[in-house]
Amino acid sequence: MANRPPHDNATTYKLVVVGDGGVGKSALTIQFFQKMFVVDYDPTIEDSYIQYVEIDGQWCIMDVLDTAGQEEFSAMREQYMRKGDGFLLVFSVTDRQSFENMANFHTQILRVKDRDTYPMILCANKVDLVHQRKVSEEQVKELATKLRIPYIETSAKDPPLNVDLAFHQVVRVIRAQPAHLKTQRQKRVGKKKRCAIL
Amino acid sequence: MAGVGDVRVEESLRVKIGCFQRSAVHFVKMKCSCEAKNLLAGSGQRNTSCAVRLDSEEIYRTSVVEKAQDPFFGEEFSGEIPKQFRSLSVLVYESAGSKSEKVLGKVSLKKDELYKYHQKEHWFPLATPDTETDVQGKVHLEVRFDEYLNTEPDFISSHRMAIRVLECSDLMVINGACNPYAVVTLSWGKLKHKEIKRTTVKKKTICPQFEELFHFDLNNRGQNHDRNIYNFDDIYQGELSVSLWHDDSKVSREVLGNMFRGCFLGEVRILLRDLDLATVHKAWYCLQGREPNKQSPQDIGSIRLKICYTADYVFDSHYYEDLRSLLLASADTDPVSSSAAYILGHIVDMHQQAAQPLVRLFYHHDKLVPLICALADREMKQTTDPNTLFRGNSLLSKMIDELMKLVGLPYLHDTLKAFVDYVCDDPKPCEIDSTRIRDGENLNDNLGNTKSYVKGALEAITGSGLVCPALMRDVFGVLKEMALKNYPDSSTVRYHAVSSFIFLRFFAPAILGPKLFDLRSDTQDYCVQRALTLISKAITTLVNIISSSSSGSFGLKEEYMGPLLDSLSTSSVLDSIRMFLDIISSATGAYSKNIEAPIVLKEGQMIKRAQGRNRLGRKNFKKRYFCLTNQYLSYAKAKAEKALCMIPVEDILAVERLQEDSFKMKYMFQVVQQHRALYVQASNCVEEKEWLDILTKVCKSNKNRLKMYHPAAFINGHWLCCKSVDPNAAGCSPVTGGVPVAEIQVDIDPDRELEKVHSLFLAHMDRLDSLQEACGAQVVYAGTTEEPRASMIVEDPQSCFQTVNRIQTCVISLEQEHKQYLRMKQRSTVIGSREAPIGDDTCGMLLGPQTHL
Repeated sequence: MANRPPHDNATTYKLVVVGDGGVGKSALTIQFFQKMFVVDYDPTIEDSYIQYVEIDGQWCIMDVLDTAGQEEFSAMREQYMRKGDGFLLVFSVTDRQSFENMANFHTQILRVKDRDTYPMILCANKVDLVHQRKVSEEQVKELATKLRIPYIETSAKDPPLNVDLAFHQVVRVIRAQPAHLKTQRQKRVGKKKRCAIL
Repeated sequence: MAGVGDVRVEESLRVKIGCFQRSAVHFVKMKCSCEAKNLLAGSGQRNTSCAVRLDSEEIYRTSVVEKAQDPFFGEEFSGEIPKQFRSLSVLVYESAGSKSEKVLGKVSLKKDELYKYHQKEHWFPLATPDTETDVQGKVHLEVRFDEYLNTEPDFISSHRMAIRVLECSDLMVINGACNPYAVVTLSWGKLKHKEIKRTTVKKKTICPQFEELFHFDLNNRGQNHDRNIYNFDDIYQGELSVSLWHDDSKVSREVLGNMFRGCFLGEVRILLRDLDLATVHKAWYCLQGREPNKQSPQDIGSIRLKICYTADYVFDSHYYEDLRSLLLASADTDPVSSSAAYILGHIVDMHQQAAQPLVRLFYHHDKLVPLICALADREMKQTTDPNTLFRGNSLLSKMIDELMKLVGLPYLHDTLKAFVDYVCDDPKPCEIDSTRIRDGENLNDNLGNTKSYVKGALEAITGSGLVCPALMRDVFGVLKEMALKNYPDSSTVRYHAVSSFIFLRFFAPAILGPKLFDLRSDTQDYCVQRALTLISKAITTLVNIISSSSSGSFGLKEEYMGPLLDSLSTSSVLDSIRMFLDIISSATGAYSKNIEAPIVLKEGQMIKRAQGRNRLGRKNFKKRYFCLTNQYLSYAKAKAEKALCMIPVEDILAVERLQEDSFKMKYMFQVVQQHRALYVQASNCVEEKEWLDILTKVCKSNKNRLKMYHPAAFINGHWLCCKSVDPNAAGCSPVTGGVPVAEIQVDIDPDRELEKVHSLFLAHMDRLDSLQEACGAQVVYAGTTEEPRASMIVEDPQSCFQTVNRIQTCVISLEQEHKQYLRMKQRSTVIGSREAPIGDDTCGMLLGPQTHL
């Protein structure tokens, strides 16, 4: 799984991919980790992937949780929202409803975290399907401005567009957070280390 | 116009308890952790639980979250409220040991504040638990202003207040007791004279009848310098306070020397200038709490709650006639996007809000299937790739979800409860991810455990097809039919359309979170939760093999799942899933225009007795080849020959064993029909049981199923069992199995659902307006602009515009009824009466949260 064993004290970033069902969360995640586009449509319940990644010269462990998009699983959402350090809010540009649901995810994350802002990125996925596109880039931009988070247009289909960038960008946003806001995450990392020693 | 008596008020409440965090402590902890720990009195890791209270009555308690700094409860309470209440509070308890517990903090919300937080998740700061701020009950007082002539020492007129404490009601119970007494305090004048009087203690009652009268003289006796200057201003600045106390025990009175006045139960403060002293003032007052003396806004943390509180004023049926017919016409509206039901789903924030009342209403009027049909057709037309069909969240998906919860919960329990209990009560290690496995566990053993769990779950599910509620089967049948019509090229879409709901939205979430579906009452620990997750994942992937046109390679997703799935994806497993999906999508009753081939459930050779003949003779028994499908039970001379007799499954009234002495033959059972019974002999005991089981299942949901039957045959002119000579005599023994689980009728109050729809429309009037605008704009600019102007594109602006207009008309006229009713109610409400005591903040709410039109 790990590409290269880097030095020990790499920080772990827990990223969570959220969004409606069928928007391509798993395709994005698998493209990022396996560098492949899955043609299968296998609805996800909850998958997790771990990898060492070098971002801006710094090695880190990316622990990504790919989640279920169906609302029937929304009761379980909170659990992983509590644990996530950063979020990818994915919708499909061919599915207007998935775009409209983005604000709900955004609100829920902020509520769970009890913060005004949190590291997140808005991913407009499936931009390769130009002819089926129902959400324009202006509308995406507008929403991103409203939610005060960065946005990115992605496509998991080969050749992938902005997939690595999307994941790396979340880590950059996490790293760029003011120091006092990082405490929650670092505290947990610290706790984990202690456990390992014991 | 509705009379006061005609309108029901239905209140319901849903509280979701998220997690609890000690915010301030967090902060301290970051700086110097030792001190923070000491602050926390012991360890920072506590066992905590939460309770929800209406006034002082506990209505829900979460399970205990062990040793957590920031416990996460993630539980939800929802229910109807049968009584009047003034406040809702959530208390966080720390439990130490088995019995003792301590309140860490609480959130208290008055009824009118609930609207403010309705449907919104919010972090509430916890307050220190203080019994003195939270009180309940009311007190009946009479205040009179007397003027009388003094004879001593001078003849001057003097004034006094007469205060009568009549009675109280609904006082708080403290430690299981309530021995109340009242203290009346009058303070007046510039110097704030204070006079205190108290009633006797009434034992063991929360509704004490005091009936005590107190007089307070107001002529400043003893104050020489101004004895004659009696000043009304003094009075006007005065204050009367009546407080109630619980006289807790003899011990506190006698041993502690009456140091404590007992427990505070509430008080009423009345400024005398607010009273009309010319008349007798008699009124009920709500008891109020008082601010704690110590000013300690110590931050003890906060708790995240999501509260949904609705109070519906439900009118008589005929008021909803217009709205009802408008909604029910939805299924026939073309296009369906112009229907009232669709528009409702479009304007609300969460589909669930609309789906719930819609499903219940359409279910009640038996119109659910056509509506689902129309919505599904639209969704299929908009989804080009059948593989992404029904994956997203739409009004349709939420409606089917609601439907499955409404009629399918008994079925779910019947199918999965035993399995889930088996996993939860005696969990075996299941971790099959080598990077997460615990020390001492063996990957291969765990793989075996997981595999047997998944198999168990699948067996339970695939064996349940025949008892799936008829309405669900009808819906799935329609979905399958439409999918086949819309995607004629896809061979798997017939499974996909059904599994997207029954597995992805019903069984998978139920296994993942059994508590949410009432399969378990407790929360699961990490190990069990992980096992359930793996089971749920494996089932979803296995189902996906047959319901998507994918290659079926599991290599790309999580690697560790590969071996498990490889070993499970045998053709027999896949076939059983396929058969299950076929059975539950073979529509019943009204929707069974079955062109589909019947599904063979069981077949084999048995011996049957000739039907409808009463002669007893050896030659009446013949070998026949029996075949049971989901439609018929039939028999023929041999396999693959033409059936001699076909009994429709609906005509089977009961399937029971036959007493051996009827024909002196073993393994006989009877298939009871309207006027006769078919007696069959199975070849051995195993076969007999299998036939009985499957036949019972098939006819379990038959409407005219018998309750009583004859355990023996009718031979030689009488029933062997009960000796009755009438061949048509009713049965003498109750049938086995009892009431079928699947067909428990759900009680629905359609008027209440309509009222909910009404308030949803009302709350989103602005969105209706903008939809109307969009329709108008689209008609006007049709052809001139390519770009859709507003964020919404209306499929058929003309019909949509009309529907919106009709909705608005309905809603406005209904709302006028509401306003009129409330005005009348307000007029007839006497403030100060027992029903509407003074100081009751819920009275002002009569007008409701959203009455502006």
